Amino acid sequence: MLRVAFKDLMARKRRLVTTGIAIILGIAFLSGTQVLGGVLNDSIDSLVTDVYKGYDAVVRSPEVQESAFGEFRPPVDADVVDQVRTAEGIRAAYGIIEAPTVQLIGSDGKVISSGFGPPTLVFNWIDDPIRPGRLNAGRGPEADDEMAMDFATAEDNGFSIGDRVEVVGQKQTAEFTLVGLLGLGDEGNLTSGVKPLYFTDTVAQELAGSPGQYSYIAAAAVEGVSEEQLAESVSAVVPDQQVVTGDQWTEQNSEQIAQFVGILTTTVTVFGVIAVVVASFIIYNTFSIIVAQRTRETALLRAIGAHRRQVVLATLIEAALVGLVASVVGLIGGTLLATGIKALIGTAVSVQGRNCAAHPRHACHGVRSGPRGHLAVRGHPRHPRIAHTADRGHDRGGGGPYRPLDITQGMGAMLVVGGLVLIALGLTSTVDDELVFVGAGLFCILLSVAVVLGPLLAGPASRALTWPLTSRGNVTARLACENASRNPRRTAATAAALTVGVTLVVVIAVLAASIKSSVTEEIEGALGDVDLIVSAGQFSLLGVPPQVAETAGSIEGVREVSPVKFGFFRLLDDEGRRIAAENPDPDTDAEDAAGQVFGMGDDAPEGEDVVANGFEPANYFELVDLGEVVGNPEDSPGSAIAAQAEVAEERGWSVGDTIPAYFAATGEVDLTLVATFTNGLGPEDKYYLSNETVAANATPGFDIDFAVYIATDDNPGTRESVQAELEKLTEDRPDVVVQDRAEFIEAQTAIIDVFVAVVYGLLALAVIIALIGIANTLSLSVLERTREFGLLRAVGMSKRQLRWAVRAEAAVIAVFGTLLGMVIGIAFAIALATALTADDPGLLTLKLPVTQLVVITVLAALAGIVAAIPPARRAARMDVLQAISTE
Amino acid sequence: MSNPTPTPQTTQRGVAAGAIDARKDYGDGDSIVHALDGVTVNFERARFTAIMGPSGSGKSTLMHCLAGLDRLSAGRVFIGETYLDTLDDAELTTLRRDTIGFVFQAFNLIPTLTAGENITLPMDLAGRKPDQAWVDQVVRTVRLTDRLDHRPSELSGGQQQRVAVARALSGRPEIIFADEPTGNLDSRSGSEILEFMRAAVDELDQTIVMVTHDPTAAAWADRVVFLVDGRIVDEMVSPTAEAVLDYLKQLGT
Repeated sequence: MLRVAFKDLMARKRRLVTTGIAIILGIAFLSGTQVLGGVLNDSIDSLVTDVYKGYDAVVRSPEVQESAFGEFRPPVDADVVDQVRTAEGIRAAYGIIEAPTVQLIGSDGKVISSGFGPPTLVFNWIDDPIRPGRLNAGRGPEADDEMAMDFATAEDNGFSIGDRVEVVGQKQTAEFTLVGLLGLGDEGNLTSGVKPLYFTDTVAQELAGSPGQYSYIAAAAVEGVSEEQLAESVSAVVPDQQVVTGDQWTEQNSEQIAQFVGILTTTVTVFGVIAVVVASFIIYNTFSIIVAQRTRETALLRAIGAHRRQVVLATLIEAALVGLVASVVGLIGGTLLATGIKALIGTAVSVQGRNCAAHPRHACHGVRSGPRGHLAVRGHPRHPRIAHTADRGHDRGGGGPYRPLDITQGMGAMLVVGGLVLIALGLTSTVDDELVFVGAGLFCILLSVAVVLGPLLAGPASRALTWPLTSRGNVTARLACENASRNPRRTAATAAALTVGVTLVVVIAVLAASIKSSVTEEIEGALGDVDLIVSAGQFSLLGVPPQVAETAGSIEGVREVSPVKFGFFRLLDDEGRRIAAENPDPDTDAEDAAGQVFGMGDDAPEGEDVVANGFEPANYFELVDLGEVVGNPEDSPGSAIAAQAEVAEERGWSVGDTIPAYFAATGEVDLTLVATFTNGLGPEDKYYLSNETVAANATPGFDIDFAVYIATDDNPGTRESVQAELEKLTEDRPDVVVQDRAEFIEAQTAIIDVFVAVVYGLLALAVIIALIGIANTLSLSVLERTREFGLLRAVGMSKRQLRWAVRAEAAVIAVFGTLLGMVIGIAFAIALATALTADDPGLLTLKLPVTQLVVITVLAALAGIVAAIPPARRAARMDVLQAISTE
Repeated sequence: MSNPTPTPQTTQRGVAAGAIDARKDYGDGDSIVHALDGVTVNFERARFTAIMGPSGSGKSTLMHCLAGLDRLSAGRVFIGETYLDTLDDAELTTLRRDTIGFVFQAFNLIPTLTAGENITLPMDLAGRKPDQAWVDQVVRTVRLTDRLDHRPSELSGGQQQRVAVARALSGRPEIIFADEPTGNLDSRSGSEILEFMRAAVDELDQTIVMVTHDPTAAAWADRVVFLVDGRIVDEMVSPTAEAVLDYLKQLGT
């Protein structure tokens, strides 16, 4: 039987290739993701370890403020360094500046943006091995107008030693002479992807916005003293500060990046799984057809005395071989893919000196999921058929009547139940990853709908789709329609692969369009009287230069100028304390597990961490439409807080109340609720602090105007002239943009488009696999219908007509799959939007991107036609005489 | 029987199709096979001609070449005024569609189309409106009026062949080629089909060329042409089953 299985396999190489491709693509994607994730994690770990390898202990402020931007701590005074140096077992201790408060200006005069990537960082130059980074050329900065930088950053931007380099800080732009290049590793020839810039102590402190202070203090132990011992002895001399060991410090730092990589890997894996699921449809389909075609052979084997078990075994062996080979190829492909991606993002995270070799664990995972999935889908279609081969041996495939959907229906029902359970689990939040559960649940239901509903709809849908042509007696269309509906299960299974992809595309398209239109509407409404918005780049902590707020008012035609700062603080009212008590800081779990923790966050009072916009008391609430404003925003400007009315009510605040709060930089502060407003600029826009309050309590480096709102006179042309003036004013800050309302909204929603594009890119794989499936199914169907095509050609069908009949069949299948996906997708989008807005009905108004949906359908039809080119050609090339004499 | 050397012959009826010194070889060198070895034959209009011969005699090859499904190695075949070697593949397709009717031994019908659709298929492919009165007459003749909406799988073998005959007739072709049309049928269904073909010639003035190895079937024809080893060895006008059988015995097959 082994030989039979092997011979079968070798006799159908071409078919194996097409089937294999589906598996290969899916596995390659999955294993590529796994390998890449592994490589990234390892690289990040080793890089972070390398950066901070000189640190045996770190002294930092115990005050900590969690915010959406990460963890913030106030700086440490310079004199603490001297105290630390008195600790027992210490070799050296230095105050370190490490702050993301600068941007480099490229030789083209534009800001070298960090975008989503790692930030540009200010470091102070320390002439000791404790310093992150090793010199590989030149020397460290000695004068205040000198600097050193990461060699990769210099290379990427064409800087070399001796060049003058412009740097933008929060308050000033300055020029420095590049005197040294650094890197990681013992030779200083590796890069971390972040852009570290080194300055003298004074300059670094200024650029970081904390003169006379350091971000933290790093200490190195003398030989023979362990990190723990050093941390303890340092802790003894500076009891007011928090001390962690170098290992803990490193771990906390790599944790954040690893989390990001983890999310990335998970996301991509989800799409990989989608691709594999789609591929399994193809495999299921292919083998269903092959088995049907092989009934005679199987019947012969049984007739000459093969046991049913042997026949099944032969099939399973064959399946296992195909699965194994395709998986191995997929794994190799995935590793190559990962290597390629690694090369692409090599600038972001260095993985130099490391092979992109598949980790044994990942390799096993990939190969295992290959044949296993393959066997599962392959074994299934075979059993019922083999049982019937004796009486089906004479049956010619292709024209078979519609058969009851026994097993498929059972599977469908199970999937629906499973899906509902998953969604219920997800929605009731009894599990950690709600979204994953809801998503998986919807996915199960999607599969079952595609599997159960598809076959029932395939026939009617094909007829409806081809009606415009068939009603006029077009026999080519009629044949395409009949061929598409003659075996509804096959059509449905082929289309289902596309349905899955299209459903996801449509969900994303509909949600994105809805979010975009809601956001646009909301911003448009909220902008009120604001005509121009001046802001620094979205990922910049530089802010708008202060002179804009100071001098914009004197520009001809400017009516109002309203700078907006932002602050983060901790609410210490009853509600805040209750929330803190209910959520014992989840972020510290990892550190607890890591072992000893030196008073992490203990000194800060418990409360709820919030982010607030700043407001200019004089005009903000008049310029920006936040609904009904109660109270006087101009009261107590030094400690003013404003809150969204509903939030205020929930927390039991009324205007005039004192609200206890805590700032990382200044500790506990009593705020005064000066006003409430009914509508925030978004669901998270609940709190405002007056700009003065922000400035008084800001962590150094965070007292910035992230935007300045400007209202102009209504005369025609005034807005344009003011915009030109403002642009002139910010000329030396290329990162600052001056936008009118339309441009601002465009920029705010651009991220949605980027997100959608990325998701489309990931889904493209599933769609491509689905198209391969259509091509594959049709190739097999064409083979099955050799006789029929021969007859058609004999009685006068031209090659052209035959090609079109096959292509039209593909188009019918593709459009059917697409429309089904569209209906399910829209339904899911409505369901998700409803779930998302259950608490806040105004949050999202559903909007169908009609044009986009039509384009998707047309593209699907075209893609179907393209997918059918090879089988159509094959059909047309058939020798008529041979075809009609085929048994 | 009286004329053992076949020659092209014309009558008042005219010639619907024919072959002139038709040769068809397979393979080359020592292993060359002459499937047709210089066949010259005419098929008269409005006559029912049978081609007989043992297996491998070249009768199917002759028919395939006459019908534009295969090409000769040498010599010529013609349908009406047209020499088929002057046509390219697309023109041959059009010729088959518009001027030739086919009845094969089995698998004559497109399973997804109804009987009615199968009957008008060649005209639908041409995008031509069928001559409804003619089609109705044909359908009545083969007694399929109440079966037009059925799919092939819902019809008996005999009914399926009747649909095939109706399809062959529906476009009023110059000539109909039938390849063992009764080969897969029981004798009753078989004679029914032959009866219809006879009626098509007698009543509807159609021209039919039928390949068969069944003397009973050949007896329905006006004339029988005998083929052996790729050559026409004899012919018989107004054959009877006994006479054909006797002749075949004499040939030693």
